[in-house]
Amino acid sequence: MTAALSMSGGLGRAERLAGDRSSLGRLAIVVLAVLLLVTMVISMTTGASGASALNLIGSWFGGTTADPAALLRDQTVIYNIRLPRMILGVLVGAALATSGLLMQGLFRNPLADPGLVGVSAGAGLGAVGIIVLGTTMLAPLTALLGIYSLQMASFIGGLITTFILYRVATKAGQTAIATMLLAGIAIGALAGAITGVLVYVATDSQLRDLTFWGLGSLSGANWTKIMASGPIIVVALTASAFLAKGLNALTLGEATAGHLGLPVQRFKLAAIVAVAAATGASVAVSGGIGFVGIVVPHLLRLVIGPDHRYLLPASALLGASFLLMADAVSRLVVAPAELPIGIVTAAVGGPFFLWILLRRRNAIAW
Amino acid sequence: MIEAYDVSVEISGRRILEGVSLTAKPGQLTAVIGPNGSGKTTLMKALCRDYAYDGLISINGRDLQLLRSIETATLRAVLPQQSALPFPFTVREVVALGLTAGLSGVPLSARKRLPELALARVDLNGFAGRFYGELSGGEQQRVQLARVLCQVWMPVLDGVPRYLFLDEPVSSLDIKHQLMIMDVARSFANAGGGVIAILHDLNLAAMYADQILALRQGRVAGFGTPSEVLTDALLADVFDCPMQVNHTPAPGMPFVLPQSAVRRDAIQTKVA
Repeated sequence: MTAALSMSGGLGRAERLAGDRSSLGRLAIVVLAVLLLVTMVISMTTGASGASALNLIGSWFGGTTADPAALLRDQTVIYNIRLPRMILGVLVGAALATSGLLMQGLFRNPLADPGLVGVSAGAGLGAVGIIVLGTTMLAPLTALLGIYSLQMASFIGGLITTFILYRVATKAGQTAIATMLLAGIAIGALAGAITGVLVYVATDSQLRDLTFWGLGSLSGANWTKIMASGPIIVVALTASAFLAKGLNALTLGEATAGHLGLPVQRFKLAAIVAVAAATGASVAVSGGIGFVGIVVPHLLRLVIGPDHRYLLPASALLGASFLLMADAVSRLVVAPAELPIGIVTAAVGGPFFLWILLRRRNAIAW
Repeated sequence: MIEAYDVSVEISGRRILEGVSLTAKPGQLTAVIGPNGSGKTTLMKALCRDYAYDGLISINGRDLQLLRSIETATLRAVLPQQSALPFPFTVREVVALGLTAGLSGVPLSARKRLPELALARVDLNGFAGRFYGELSGGEQQRVQLARVLCQVWMPVLDGVPRYLFLDEPVSSLDIKHQLMIMDVARSFANAGGGVIAILHDLNLAAMYADQILALRQGRVAGFGTPSEVLTDALLADVFDCPMQVNHTPAPGMPFVLPQSAVRRDAIQTKVA
C-alpha cells in the first residue's frame, strides 16, 4: 500500500478527479452569492411607492437634481420599509432553506421539511401563545425576555415538536418516512387545534396582532423584528456550518456515523436545536412560509450533489435569493396591493414537490 | 489487541449474547461463524459499542467504554451488512467519507488520491465518478469496503495496530471477488493490523482465518485454529446439520462439502 501511495505522488491543483464535485460546489457558492447581490439590488429598487434608490445614492454624493421633499420621502421609504424588508427576506429565506436541509440530513430523507412535518405549526403555536397569553398567564416570560419573547416562544414550540417527531418517527437510528409524514400531520393538526383555541379566546386587540403576525409575509418588516430574530438566525446559520461533516457521515446511518467518529447523540441534539432556532426565529417574524426548505436544497442537490459542506452555504444563499424574488413577485403582480408571500412560494413549491414524488416513485419503494 | 471478557448483551429482556470471551491479536484474522440468530452481529455491535453490554471489552488495552467516538474511529473501521444512501452520492464521495475521522495515516498530499487507491484495492477502478445508487449490490458492498479501508489505510499507525471489523464482507460477491476481498483482509492482517470478520462460508473461514470463533445460541461453542474448531462433532452441534470435514492434502487445511449433509433419498428424488 505504501508503495502505491508514493508512486501516485502529489496532486496538481488543477487536476480534476472523477466523482469529485467539490470545485462545482465552490463555483455554485460564488454564483449564488452574486445572484443574491443582484436580487438584493432588485428588492431595494422595486416597490409600489416608486421611490428611487438611485436618487438616494446620488444624493450621498451631492450630485442629484431631485427636489428635497421627494428625496426625504424616498429616504423614509428605503430606510424604514425596503431595507428592513430586504434584510428580513435574506435572513428568513436563508433560515428556511437551512432548517429544511438540516432536517433532511437529520432524518436522512429528502422530503423532510419543518413546514411539512408540523415543526412550523409548533413554532406558530408558541408565537400565538405568547401573543394571546403574554399579558396574563405567560406575563413573567414576556417580562423576562422582552423583545425576544415571541422568538423564544416560537423556538420552544418548534423544539418541542421536533423532539416529539424525532421520538415517534425514529427507531434505532432509522426514520420511517411514512411514520414521519403521518406523525407530522398529527402534530401539525394538534398544534393547529390548540392555536385555534387560543385564537378563540383572544381579545379584539390580540386578534389584530395575530392577523398581522399570521399573514405569512415580509410586509411587516421593521428594524425591531430584525433586532429580535436576526441574531438568532445568524447564530443558527453559523452553527449549522459546523454540522456539515457530521451530516455527511450521518447519511450512512447513525451506527456507521458513530463508527466514523461522530458523537451521534450530541450531534443530533445540536442539529435539532439549530432547526428549531432557525424555524422559530423565522416563523416569529414572517408566519409560515412554506416549501422554501424543500425546493432549494433539492434543486441544489441535483446540481452540486449532497455534500453538506457546499450544500449548506449554497442553500442559505439560494434560499435568501428565492425568498427575495418571491417577495418581489408578491409585491408586483397585484400592485399597489400585495399577495401574501406564502402564496407565491406555495405556487412554485407545490408542483415542485409533486415532481419530486413522481421522480422518486419509481426509484424507492416505501 | 481486541479483548472481550465475559460479554453479555440483553435486548428487550432477551439474552442475545451470554458470557462471550475472545482475543483477537494484531496480525491475525479472526473469523466468527455460527447459524442465523446465533449472535454474530450482536457480538460485532457490542465490540463497536453500538449495543450496551455487560462484561469487559478493550482495544489495545484500553477500556472501550472510556474511549471517545473519535478515538475508536482512529483505532478501528467497521463494515456494516448493508448500506442504502438517501442522497445521490458519487462513489468517490462515499469512499471519501471514510476520511471523516482524519487519521487514515497517509500524508495530506496523498489523501486526495486515497479513494482511487482504495477503489483499486476492491477491483473498482474507474468507478469513482459513478453514482452509488446505480451500482449492483456486490459493487456497493465493495465501495463500502473501500470506504472502510480509507479510514484505517495504514494497518499500523505510530506503532499502534488498527482493526477491521467486517460483518459478512463477501455476502453479495461473486467467487472471484470473494477471494479478492478475503485477500485484502488477509494482507491487512499480514501488515500488522487485526481483522474480525463474520463469515458464512466455512471454507473461506478455513482458508483465511488464523482462528475461528463458533457461536451457538449466543454462547461460544468453540474458539481456536480452524483445525481445532472445524470438526464433524462441533459443526453438527453448532449448525444442527450433519456434515463431514475433510482435509486438503498438502497443508492439511480443513474443508467442508455441503453435499455431505444432503440426505441420500433427497438426491435420488431429484435424479428421478
